[in-house]
Amino acid sequence: MRDLKHLIYFENLLQEANNDLVKQAKAEGKRAIGYTCYFMPEVLLDLPGCFSVRLRAPRCTSPDIATYYMSARVCHYARSLLERALEGGFNFLDAQMATETCTATCRFQEHLQQKHLDSVKDMRIIDNDDFFCNFIDVPFKNNQIAYEHYRDQLRAHVLGGLEEHFGIDTSDAAIMAAIEQQNEVSRLINEIGDYRKLDNPTITGYEFHVIQLVSLVCPKYLILPYLRETAEEMKTREPDQKKEFRCKVVLAGSENDDPDFTKLVESCGARVVCDRYCYGSVESRQIIEVKDGEDPLMAVARHYLTTSNCPRFMPQDEMRARKQRIAELAKEYHADGVIIASNKFCEYWSYERVIDTVILKRDFGLPVCSIEKEYINSASGQLRTRFQAFVESVEIKHIQEGK
Amino acid sequence: MKCKFGKTLLKLLGIGLVLNVGLFCVFFFDLDGKLLFKVVEPFLKNHYDNMERKDTLKAPYEIDKFPKYSYDS
Amino acid sequence: MAKNIKKALRDFWYGKPHTAEEGGRRLGDLHEDKTHLYKHREWRGVKDTMYYFYMIWLYNYIFMVKDVMVMGGLVNFAKGVWRYRWVGQTYLPVLHWFDRGLEGMRGEAMKASAWHYRAMVSTTIRQFQRMFAADTRLHGGKQNDLYKHTIAHNETVWGGVFYPWDGEIQNVPLEMIPYFVTCHVNSHTVLNYIDAVQSIGLPGDPCPMCQAESGIFVLDDVPDYAPAVVTCNEACDASVSTSTLQDWFFDKPLFSLPMPMIFDDPLVKKYCAREIEELWKFVEQQYNIPFSWDKLVKKLELQNELQRFEWEKWEVAGKTDYYPVNGVAQALYRIYQTQYGDWEIWHVTDKKVRKILEKCVSKKINSFPQTRHRVIAWSCAPLYYSNWCTWAYNCWGLNVIINMDSLMFDMTIRTDSYENTLEDMAQYHLWAPMRRMAVGGMKHMFELWEYMEKFNCDMVAMYDQLQCKGVQGLHGLFEDEFRDRNAKAFWIPHALPDSRTVSRAEIRRLINDYMTTVMHEEPLDPSLLDFDDSMTW
Repeated sequence: MRDLKHLIYFENLLQEANNDLVKQAKAEGKRAIGYTCYFMPEVLLDLPGCFSVRLRAPRCTSPDIATYYMSARVCHYARSLLERALEGGFNFLDAQMATETCTATCRFQEHLQQKHLDSVKDMRIIDNDDFFCNFIDVPFKNNQIAYEHYRDQLRAHVLGGLEEHFGIDTSDAAIMAAIEQQNEVSRLINEIGDYRKLDNPTITGYEFHVIQLVSLVCPKYLILPYLRETAEEMKTREPDQKKEFRCKVVLAGSENDDPDFTKLVESCGARVVCDRYCYGSVESRQIIEVKDGEDPLMAVARHYLTTSNCPRFMPQDEMRARKQRIAELAKEYHADGVIIASNKFCEYWSYERVIDTVILKRDFGLPVCSIEKEYINSASGQLRTRFQAFVESVEIKHIQEGK
Repeated sequence: MKCKFGKTLLKLLGIGLVLNVGLFCVFFFDLDGKLLFKVVEPFLKNHYDNMERKDTLKAPYEIDKFPKYSYDS
Repeated sequence: MAKNIKKALRDFWYGKPHTAEEGGRRLGDLHEDKTHLYKHREWRGVKDTMYYFYMIWLYNYIFMVKDVMVMGGLVNFAKGVWRYRWVGQTYLPVLHWFDRGLEGMRGEAMKASAWHYRAMVSTTIRQFQRMFAADTRLHGGKQNDLYKHTIAHNETVWGGVFYPWDGEIQNVPLEMIPYFVTCHVNSHTVLNYIDAVQSIGLPGDPCPMCQAESGIFVLDDVPDYAPAVVTCNEACDASVSTSTLQDWFFDKPLFSLPMPMIFDDPLVKKYCAREIEELWKFVEQQYNIPFSWDKLVKKLELQNELQRFEWEKWEVAGKTDYYPVNGVAQALYRIYQTQYGDWEIWHVTDKKVRKILEKCVSKKINSFPQTRHRVIAWSCAPLYYSNWCTWAYNCWGLNVIINMDSLMFDMTIRTDSYENTLEDMAQYHLWAPMRRMAVGGMKHMFELWEYMEKFNCDMVAMYDQLQCKGVQGLHGLFEDEFRDRNAKAFWIPHALPDSRTVSRAEIRRLINDYMTTVMHEEPLDPSLLDFDDSMTW
């Protein structure tokens, strides 16, 4: 396939958190607001006057100081973020909007909080006098009570914080503008992502992963022109005559902001056609709908709780339904199997992976490759062997089924 | 009558004393612990290890079996 | 010669003295190697040995049988023992659990601590007997009346939320007896469950407590004793996920009672209260028995009595040297009582303990006369070695005055109006075990300093649960603080129920090292420094 015009530019934007577009937005006087989890609605951090940056720590392979603070028995992702913060890599942030949605990232974000306790010293990790960090409580359920609680949390701690510290306009009109902007990003990402549903997709999983990530880590208003151009470019992109893959897979699981991991999967013959993991597009790029007369903040709250498939959701119907959703995605994207990847020390996905591995295979007939990985994949040799074996098993299944 | 009562009492006291001394020996020399550790636990462990158990991974997982238990909506 | 006879007589009458200088009792020599069974039990002097023999050993054996007979009967018990490993393999050596916790104790400390143990045994029997009496598996698949009036719940759901159905629906936690209490009594059993869940693909790194809780289900070792389940997200991410796995295998109507994590926020309390009301509606719907406000109030007031006595105990523990409860009895009784909720046996026990406490205060009896350091134990304790503090006192004079688990539910609940009651219940629920301080906002973890001062402690035993992400994530900050404050603190690494990760001997070695190399102190009883108890319960 012809190279995508902006792919190298996009790849460069992912090399560090404080990338060129972030610098440009900061130079234009915008406030940079960091976050880690889907449950912190990025749309509210993209209100006029500020922009969201979903935190990553690319190329962080040995988080030594963070390991002193968080021990070696905590997820590599959280430690890498702390290491990057300690190195000064997040000093551009004006605020961190935090969630206690997994323990490890909670602890990372608590290290960033400044001057908030007498009982423990202030580490002043983010060297920025304006910096503050607010936490919200995110419900474990998606019922009406939860929507209202979540809305109240967002109003008090996110909008309240932005207004109080930076004078950000948090009116309904401003929220509507941010929703509009986010919906445009989502429409473009979905348009580009839909090419993965073709029999011979005209975009690789790696390329899509890169594009999805830049939409999370760059100011929306600055990345939009590039996304528009890429969507346009995709309309005429021709696939390779000979398929460059041997099977298609849904990649599901825990936090994954490493496009090289997707590249590794694809180098073993499996085309990643769907990204159902934290930082993926399945949830984050759904269109936010505001019903007639509805409070836009309530719409945002409802949207994030109803679209998430996070294994931290606890209602019984929800625990069970999310297995079916993965099967439905496999059908929608014409995938031959599912790779379930959990980060080491991620407790949610360790369990969810065990159940998915049994249920998807047994009840939905989907081949499943179940793996545990690191944030940055140093053990690529072992993973390569696992993926190659999985691809072969899918091929054998096809032969047996006479496909 | 009195003598019979006295004898029974003495007998009971004797039994009580023997029982007390016997139990105290069990207590002091930890005979209960030794019996439990060396005989009872290995026996039960063997029983549990060889028990037939169902394969729980074959348990059904019906997606729509239960409704959403939410009332305040 | 005469001196020797005099000493022998004195030792016989009063028991040998504690310290090596006084010709010490050498408790380490009482045990067999590896199994740690007694060659013979300890001679504590005539009075205390007889008390231990009659009022602890014999009394508890007799009352265990009586409890079993009264609470469900011998037949159900026998069936249960034959069917479930966790009861058969675990609960028979319960008197050795007493021995481990009460070793070396004398006088009032021995008595008060033993009453705490007795209450826990009784409550445990009551729960497993209810499970067996209602269990469809032990009754040919029949759902009897007891089954229809029992509700199962995650062990970390506070039993108090079921008070409105007191006497009509019995709540029995799913894991408290099959898993949690077993680890203290016989640490062998739980290993089967941890291995079982790892055998289906779960990695070894999630919290081992949650692994064990899931493993009981994987190994098909859970009685089927209730038509519905209530679960929650306490205490951590793994607990949430455990619920998912349990739901699969239990396959019953399940209500999730979430506990908001950032719980200082008043908005959070409001949300939590609404979820408790949702739970009540679920129970009414599932059991068709109406909510009773009167029952709720009555039980809460009884629970408040327990809390008020606990405050009195803390007052004595913090301000005097006359507190007669040892570290392990304090920790286990308190967490059991507060988590399970009000029950008659707690009141009976508190009454007996109150008498002892009052005696100690009025007569100025120091039950721990060899105390060198007053220790606060912080974070979650090793379940397989909860009696480490008994060893630490005997060996080093480290007297664990209070621990984190005891301090979590530090409140009474108002009963003057529905709104106030609900608000306080929400607060209580939010301060769940292993939760208030261990996960959620770190502010609470660092309340350590405040409590250290309140209980007049000069040393910290910092538990280092190797697989608890909440505590591990603050490891370095604690190190920094200990250094900056020049605090005397040692770490106790462990993996909650899994005695294979960090052995008891390793824990002792770390404390020994700290006491010799940092504190430059000599042991009170050198026979306890190094011994092999690798095979013990």
